[in-house]
Amino acid sequence: MPAGSPGPAAQSARRPPPLLPLLLFCVLGAPQAGSGADTAVISPQDPTLLIGSSLQATCSVHGDTPGATAEGLYWTLNGRRLPPELSRMLNASTLALALANLNGSRQQSGDNLVCHARDGSILAGSCLYVGLPPEKPFNISCWSKNMKDLTCRWTPGAHGETFLHTNYSLKYKLRWYGQDNTCEEYHTVGPHSCHIPKDLALFTPYEIWVEATNRLGSARSDVLTLDILDVVTTDPPPDVHVSRVGGLEDQLSVRWVSPPALKDFLFQAKYQIRYRVEDSVDWKVVDDVSNQTSCRLAGLKPGTVYFVQVRCNPFGIYGSKKAGIWSEWSHPTAASTPRSERPGPGGGACEPRGSEPSSGPVRRELKQFLGWLKKHAYCSNLSFRLYDQWRAWMQKSHKTRNQHRTRGSCPRAEGARREVLPDKL
Amino acid sequence: MSRREGSLDPQADSSVSPLPHLEAKIQQTHSLARLLTKYAEQLLQEYVQHQGDPFGLPGFSPPRPPVAGLSAPAPGHAGLPVPERLRLDAAALAVLPPLLDVVRRRQAELNPRAARLLRRLEDAARQARALGAAVEAVLGALGAETGGPRAEPATAAAAAIAAAATGGVFPAKVLGLRVCSLYLEWVSRTEADLGQLAPGGPA
Repeated sequence: MPAGSPGPAAQSARRPPPLLPLLLFCVLGAPQAGSGADTAVISPQDPTLLIGSSLQATCSVHGDTPGATAEGLYWTLNGRRLPPELSRMLNASTLALALANLNGSRQQSGDNLVCHARDGSILAGSCLYVGLPPEKPFNISCWSKNMKDLTCRWTPGAHGETFLHTNYSLKYKLRWYGQDNTCEEYHTVGPHSCHIPKDLALFTPYEIWVEATNRLGSARSDVLTLDILDVVTTDPPPDVHVSRVGGLEDQLSVRWVSPPALKDFLFQAKYQIRYRVEDSVDWKVVDDVSNQTSCRLAGLKPGTVYFVQVRCNPFGIYGSKKAGIWSEWSHPTAASTPRSERPGPGGGACEPRGSEPSSGPVRRELKQFLGWLKKHAYCSNLSFRLYDQWRAWMQKSHKTRNQHRTRGSCPRAEGARREVLPDKL
Repeated sequence: MSRREGSLDPQADSSVSPLPHLEAKIQQTHSLARLLTKYAEQLLQEYVQHQGDPFGLPGFSPPRPPVAGLSAPAPGHAGLPVPERLRLDAAALAVLPPLLDVVRRRQAELNPRAARLLRRLEDAARQARALGAAVEAVLGALGAETGGPRAEPATAAAAAIAAAATGGVFPAKVLGLRVCSLYLEWVSRTEADLGQLAPGGPA
């Protein structure tokens, strides 16, 4: 019996077909328009083949059907009629087909190879699965959120394109003992990821690997060995605030709170800050912040809105020697430097706190005025901070007006948190 | 007796206004059927997309395998009295859910990443059940008898196991198309039949 040239694992990779109600479906392998009686059968049924291989198939018309003959039969593949030169009649009731150099399947449910009668009616069908066996998954990386769980992701081999449904299974076990476990919550942070929510041990290494399986075979990644304590990450630092440093035109003060979740886990934290000018995509990173929860950015451009983010790395948890995993960046927070006529140097770094804001004549007079207002009026919440917010808002409005005049749009960073300015003092 | 009091004679002219609560129930069920008709159309489109060509191509004339216990609405269906039509609608809607479940399970193997298709099939089974129950409630309120002999789910399941070893993928695709088509035919038929009873419907 003519057959295709499947790969060595092709036939064994086939699974038994699942349940179909017998009463529901009286035509098995040979549906016919209208009547449902068996009229033909295609062989092989649902073969699995390697890309580039060949297939020999037959469509055999049942001999007991009146007028049953292979004369006039033709083939279609995915709805397209195949050239007649690919077919030949083996005998009066059998039409053969020879396909060479098969391409990968167009859809996961299989390519539809159909045998038609002369009038176009469908006599039988078979689904071809043409693809590649999976390659070894690689680049497994895992992290634990606050030591309570473990999330891993990986890269599928051959960029995942096997043209066949490929199942990925993340396995893990304690290195020195225990049975293999299988992760169950997939696609949590992308298509090739899995989340283990509980029952993880600390201070002992795990072995983690990924198995990929499809109709043509399977592949296994290298084993990753890790201790949960060495891959801990946290939520981003909460409550990030950015504010002016008095009237200093080239500085902004950044403050944040250390992530609360790990405060009991004897860890040290190091932080990174990144910032950018409002309409730029280039971030500058300050990474020598160490264990502080505040920093002053200096060397900034005056009269400019900056977006700032902070992230945390909880290293040294319970005495672990390895660095943890950097958290996500906090939501962007924006603030502006005071306006000045002189251009600023444009660079930035954290500077030690402590220097007083400069006080020119305008600010001295404003300070006196605010002090008088607090004594003699009912505006008890007036402060330099409010004045700075107003200044930032004025600069922003002015800048927006100018931009609308020049190019008619004002790009804004998405998700940026702005200081809320009062309508009036 | 006021036209709005007492039980209704199911043989009465359909233009007689039913009780207010019954009227509301009919209207509600009619609206549900209209909504499910749209969902059934979307399900059919989604289904053919995932099976690949020629499914979904214009002019595709697939086989129409018989489905035990369920056939398409007969050509003479529209000529029957409304309660009889609704009885047939309810009977079909009661048979559809396990068939849709079978199709969903098969599609979960053939198209495991087609999350929306699988969800639509699951929803369709649930919605067919709900619409069938609502139609039966309308029939009950009309004083009409409900039900008739239907295929036992246990029998269908046993038959399914018997057929497991011989079902090919292409026939499974065709069967699924048939079930989805029947689902659409019956919900739209139900919508039309309820429209006869809904206020403002044709006499």
